[in-house]
Amino acid sequence: MMTRALSRLAPLLACLGLLAIWQAGSLMLNTESFPTAMSAVRAVPSILGDKESLVNILDSLRRMAIAFAAALLFAIPLGLMMGRSRLVASFFNPLLMITYPVPKAALMPIIMLWLGVGDLAKMLVIFLGVSLPVIYHSFQGARAVEEKMLWSGAAMGLSAPQRMIRIVLPAALPEILTGCRTGLVLALITMVTSEMIARQSGAGNILFNALDMGQYDTVYAMIIIIGAMGIGLDAAFERLRSRLVRWSEPGFDIPLSFA
Amino acid sequence: MKVLPSRPDFEADPALARGPAPAMIEIDRVSQTFRTSGRQAHLALSDISLTIEDGAFVSILGPSGCGKSTLLYIVGGFVSPTEGVARVKGRAITGPGPDRGPVFQEFALFPWKTVLGNVMYGPRQQGVKSPEAEAQSRRLIEMVGLKGFENFYPKELSGGMKQRVALARTLAYHPAVLLMDEPFGALDAHTRTRLQNDLLNIWERDRKTVLFVTHSVDEAVFLSDKVVVMTRAPGRIKQIIDIELPRPRRRAELLLDPRYQKYVVEIERMIDDTSEDGLRP
Amino acid sequence: MNARALTSEVLLGIVPIALALAVWQGISSFGYAPVTLLPPPGLVFSRLAQQLGTSTFQYEIASTLFRLFAGFSIAVIMGVGIGLAAAASPAVNAVVRPIVRVLAPLPKVALYPALLLLLGFGHESKITLVAADALFPILLSTYYGASMVEQKLIWSAMAAGTPRRQILFKVVLPAAVPSILTGCRIGLVISCIVVFLAEMISSTDGLGHMLVTAARTFQAVDMFVPLITISLLGLILNGLLQGLRSYLLRGFPEV
Repeated sequence: MMTRALSRLAPLLACLGLLAIWQAGSLMLNTESFPTAMSAVRAVPSILGDKESLVNILDSLRRMAIAFAAALLFAIPLGLMMGRSRLVASFFNPLLMITYPVPKAALMPIIMLWLGVGDLAKMLVIFLGVSLPVIYHSFQGARAVEEKMLWSGAAMGLSAPQRMIRIVLPAALPEILTGCRTGLVLALITMVTSEMIARQSGAGNILFNALDMGQYDTVYAMIIIIGAMGIGLDAAFERLRSRLVRWSEPGFDIPLSFA
Repeated sequence: MKVLPSRPDFEADPALARGPAPAMIEIDRVSQTFRTSGRQAHLALSDISLTIEDGAFVSILGPSGCGKSTLLYIVGGFVSPTEGVARVKGRAITGPGPDRGPVFQEFALFPWKTVLGNVMYGPRQQGVKSPEAEAQSRRLIEMVGLKGFENFYPKELSGGMKQRVALARTLAYHPAVLLMDEPFGALDAHTRTRLQNDLLNIWERDRKTVLFVTHSVDEAVFLSDKVVVMTRAPGRIKQIIDIELPRPRRRAELLLDPRYQKYVVEIERMIDDTSEDGLRP
Repeated sequence: MNARALTSEVLLGIVPIALALAVWQGISSFGYAPVTLLPPPGLVFSRLAQQLGTSTFQYEIASTLFRLFAGFSIAVIMGVGIGLAAAASPAVNAVVRPIVRVLAPLPKVALYPALLLLLGFGHESKITLVAADALFPILLSTYYGASMVEQKLIWSAMAAGTPRRQILFKVVLPAAVPSILTGCRIGLVISCIVVFLAEMISSTDGLGHMLVTAARTFQAVDMFVPLITISLLGLILNGLLQGLRSYLLRGFPEV
């Protein structure tokens, strides 16, 4: 019982531990550009209390949510089709391979050139960023579905599209959700990065404006806010995931997040 | 030759002077309980006592889940018993050691090493110099019939060949006891028979002690001096049958031998009879 | 699969890329988009070829590659080290696990301003960011691979006389290599992406910086060049890693 409670509290303890290390480090370094954890945490409410910042942050999240949803609608079907058809897979794979190492947020300047600085450009970038891992994981998931399961489905009289929805989709769901989890953190990262590069509005913009103006407490408070969003979104998605695919073997229980 | 100090009681009786064959493995009142994910305890082995003489080929036979592999792992030192003690050459077993070499159903070959690399692993670990270890290993590979495959990787071999490599890898560090955990269980019937014959031929050369876990009655009778029949979980020893068939054994002759057939039928009846299972205190 | 099927698959894969190039060419040559917004592919690639010969461009590539490799190497060393330690020792695991749980989903790029303040605008802050981002996939896949090692492989080695403390390096590490390399592959792509972004956000050199400079002056051609370069670098590095992989894993069954 004790150990169980402890293991549930462990991430919280880790957060506190990291903040304590930060606190100790800043006290030791004692420079203006590295405020203590305490003063950074104290600056959080003032940012969230400020109407303009809050609107900015919520705007960022809205764009992220729309782009994330659109990416799932596009990427999951494509990934599943690639997984079940060699033809589709060999058609798209090289294209995905050359686009994989391109930082999607780096397309921001070019996309802004075409679409302006509005919501559309930002959402397009997030959409591109989320799509790749979701396609990849859906592809892997669908490819691993056992052929015999599909044969039984065909024997029961399911048509090809029906087999896709009623057999391939559920069977690949654990893998798809792993992709979605990576995609979610990625959406946040792409959002922040594109705002850092475009410097128009949003959470990333607040962060860098504060950096330029030397408001160090605000810089670190924003880092805490964005970090908390990442951890919170991930934890929430993980709860959803473990409910949806209770039947499956647990794989990685920590997502592989990256930009 | 080492001369034992004379003991008066042995001198009195010439039959005793020869003494019983020295015990290689003693399993003394061993029980094993596993904790499953809940708080339930699962009793896998219950109060097992068994003595295996040096040079004996002993099979442990039982239905799946009767703990026969667990017993083998205890002798291997991979699992320590919840109760009781297992000894090899009179010393209590505290962990794995090169005096007891396992051969697993899953082969467990190192995928990053070639056939030669796998077989050389044990001797190298024992501190044998590389050229000598290689020469020894090449001889063993030839003995198990894989000459020419020294530089192949395990993935390039069939199941039967992999098990031959696993056997050679274990023989390479000269264990006093071979611990075989359903070694031929994953092979097709034909390969299985060939490996059984080859195993007996290899065994005839130096008659190592073998503890052989299987669920095949034919296999147990064909190979062993002694068959230990176990009950369903929790595993207990139901009966120990001495197989008094002449050696060297030839499969074709044995299959026609009424004594062989009688052993097989007798043991199969014994396994089918579940009345005793789980009822003993 | 025979060679012919393989060739036809490769050809099929080239189709969408060729198609994209054709559409790109079409749009610019039929005048749907002005050259200032979308330069034709010919122009972009000839510009790339011309740039590749200049020493300034080579210098930019070199500084990007230096940061990329430095960060990636740190991530590999730390990731494999911590991953193995966490798999081998329950005590390390108890400490590392919750910390990784918290730090893995953290958007590392948000830490970049702090890194700039602490480490300055030079190489250090960028290398640290690359390492921080590439670390987790490598750490997690090392841990995963090391804790999934078949028990009987370890038993076999122990029975052959391997002391417990050597098992980690003689069995667990080699058995985890396939998983570690998968992590490295993800980490490498991440390194490419992150180094470029860091250079875009604040730098005085590197490919990312080239893109930002070109964007400020609306030089569309020069914006495409660094993007294509990083894509090619990613492909080449991935190919090299793939080669290393098939050499190291020559004994392992196909995954």
